Amino acid sequence: MNTKEPKVEGRLQALLAEFDSVGALVTAAERVRDAGYTRWDTHSPFPVHGIDQAMGVRRTRLPWLVFIFGLIGCATGLLLQWWTNATGALDFGWLPTFLQGYDFLISGKPRFSLPANIPVIFEVTVLFAALATFLGMLAMNSLPWHHNRLFGSARFKRVTADRFFVCIDAADPKFDAQGTAQLLAALGPTHVEPLADLPSPARWPHGLVVAGMVIASLALLPPLFAAKARLSKSPLPRIQPIQDMGNQERYKTQQANFAFADTRAMRPQVPGTIARGDPLDDPHFYEGKVDGQWVKTFPPQVQVTQSSVRRGQQRFNIYCSPCHGLGGAGDGIVSARALRLDTPGWVQPTALVGDLVRDRENGNIFNTITHGLRTMPPYGDQIPPADRWAIIAYIRALQLSQSVQRADVPRDQWPEER
Amino acid sequence: MTTTVDSSTDSRPLSGTWPARSAAGLLALAGLVASVLLGWRQGDWSVFFRSYILNYCFVLSLALGGLFFVMLQHLTRAGWSVALRRLAEFVAATIPVLAILFLPLLIPVLTGMAGVYIWTNPDAVQHDPVLQGKAAYLNAPFFIVRCAFYFALWTLLARYFLKRSLQQDATGDPALTLRMQWWSAPGMLLYALTTTFFAIDVLMSLNPHWYSTIWGVYFFSGNVVGFFALLAVLAYLLQRAGRLTQSVTVEHYHDVGKLAFAFVVFWAYIAFSQYMLIWYGNIPEETVWFRPRQGDTWWVGVSLLLLFGHFVAPFLALISRYPKRRKAPLALAAVWLLFMHWLDLYYLVGPQPAAPGQTIAALHATDVTLFIGLGGLFAFVLLRLMSRYTLLPARDPRLAESLAFENV
Repeated sequence: MNTKEPKVEGRLQALLAEFDSVGALVTAAERVRDAGYTRWDTHSPFPVHGIDQAMGVRRTRLPWLVFIFGLIGCATGLLLQWWTNATGALDFGWLPTFLQGYDFLISGKPRFSLPANIPVIFEVTVLFAALATFLGMLAMNSLPWHHNRLFGSARFKRVTADRFFVCIDAADPKFDAQGTAQLLAALGPTHVEPLADLPSPARWPHGLVVAGMVIASLALLPPLFAAKARLSKSPLPRIQPIQDMGNQERYKTQQANFAFADTRAMRPQVPGTIARGDPLDDPHFYEGKVDGQWVKTFPPQVQVTQSSVRRGQQRFNIYCSPCHGLGGAGDGIVSARALRLDTPGWVQPTALVGDLVRDRENGNIFNTITHGLRTMPPYGDQIPPADRWAIIAYIRALQLSQSVQRADVPRDQWPEER
Repeated sequence: MTTTVDSSTDSRPLSGTWPARSAAGLLALAGLVASVLLGWRQGDWSVFFRSYILNYCFVLSLALGGLFFVMLQHLTRAGWSVALRRLAEFVAATIPVLAILFLPLLIPVLTGMAGVYIWTNPDAVQHDPVLQGKAAYLNAPFFIVRCAFYFALWTLLARYFLKRSLQQDATGDPALTLRMQWWSAPGMLLYALTTTFFAIDVLMSLNPHWYSTIWGVYFFSGNVVGFFALLAVLAYLLQRAGRLTQSVTVEHYHDVGKLAFAFVVFWAYIAFSQYMLIWYGNIPEETVWFRPRQGDTWWVGVSLLLLFGHFVAPFLALISRYPKRRKAPLALAAVWLLFMHWLDLYYLVGPQPAAPGQTIAALHATDVTLFIGLGGLFAFVLLRLMSRYTLLPARDPRLAESLAFENV
């Protein structure tokens, strides 16, 4: 065996020793380990039990990484669900809308329900732990490498068949071209080979680069489409890739359904059913009546304050003003348009600030809002009773505003003299 | 690394166990006599029998876990476990004795004791349309026929696998391994069905109005946790007694620890699957089962102890490689898991109202005395088996693989 300094073209990179048995490999690994080398590796066609100890490889720290990422995943899953569903009712208005949580009430459960959250927490934990395992393993092994200098050795090809190799890197602090070669030669290898710089620098294969660029470009398309959809408007109906909720099979009214004894798809209400919010025991509040007479007052639970009148103003402007007008004169935009188009049979909405409504009892107005009158539709199912009373308070304020004396207004709120 | 074991010393049957055996026997006797006296003094035998169901299911579940383990090893042609398999065969071989111990449970079934199985009581069934609807399945004769079938099958399987294995000790015939492997497949299938139905018949029918389709798996998952804990404890104690010191290595402990860990997680997964669906559906006929377990401070405490003691604590304790490769910490964790497995069954059996409207007591004296009685008897039978037969399938063709086994 030649123990002189190995001859090699170019700079010496590593020394590669070839063995013909697994026993020789393990013994060699133990000797190299004992010689204090740190930057070296062994290669074999199959996993060798005990090679870790023979090489003095420290146990991997990967489990800790996986555990920590599992915990992070656990916390992320919990936080995600808490944020998306439990904070909708909290005051996070200063955040952009797409960062705010929802306020969905699901099956009457609390907004933050741990049992419902556990499956997602579990999945996110597993996802984070699995990604940490995979990516951490790659990172700790400095993978992926698309090339290895060992591929430059013709002998090394037999590592997949029946040969075992020890490779010591020239960058090892203990490396000494002659001394290391002697050490390896003493281990009974079938061959020791110096490895030099590869003739061609390691380059990514051309096809792989092109394929990677194509895939990366294609991957940009979905986010681009999403961005375009977010930033533009379209008159077309939205696309529903999954038609489960938009178009579902269902029974229509008056159809037959043989699941029931009476074969009717429409189910009768359970005897004794009452609709939500039905008047029960407070006709003053729910009907505007006391002893069958329209009340002139407000119910005791309705406090007419500045804020309730403002609430009434807001509701009025939403529900009433399109027809009755912002000032209550019966000149809303719906009416104005109908008059402009000469709609046949159009009756102009009542002027709320006129004498007719001024003299009408609160209870009567309440009844009109609830059930509608002539062409006016009922609003009882859209406006809760308290808001109807607030609207009445606002209508009273509008009426007052049409017949106010200068003396009724505080001096500092007089309009500018013209 | 050594692949041969001096089986003449290392795995020979235990000798000089008479002090331990008499201690176990005396404990068993004392526990059973005390329980009968307590039951007699209470006048209401239903408390006694419910304690009996709890503790009987505890020892039986360990034996069933052992049977599962033996068949699983054959089914998967496992090499690593051969050094431990005989211990599992012993645990499973307690089933014939346990089958006899099942007979006392026929008393409440045949006498129609409403405080135990209310569906056995004709008066109760007469006024209960639900029980009338289930009467085709839940009736005393059919119950007895089913249970007789379960125990016949389990006895057959447990004896088959122990006998073939002992036969191999004598002949060294590798064909026996193949035969056991062949029978393990239908055996496993029948085991899954019988264990499921046993859990339904003996445990779920304590509350015959309620049902859960995952019940059998829940029972099974707890059994396997209990068995792996018992296996770790058995191996530890045997090694302290100077047996299996060469054949059972830290690698085997590591694997038993891994499997215990896995089944702790599996148990939690199943328990939560059952809980979440019922919690989410929130239908009275289903939530009724959790009502007593969450409505009373004592049972809330038991539920939380199960959550943390049967899952969170062992999960964190066993997740690392370190404790699984240290015999004493692993044995300690195993004893804790055995206690938790008992507590799990206590949680299943305890809060059932003994009779409609009856208040639910926390812990009865018979819960403890019958644990001592049946547990002592179980230990007695195990000790007897271990002092009769070799502790290792010494001529199993895969023994060398098991001895050389190493976790990577």
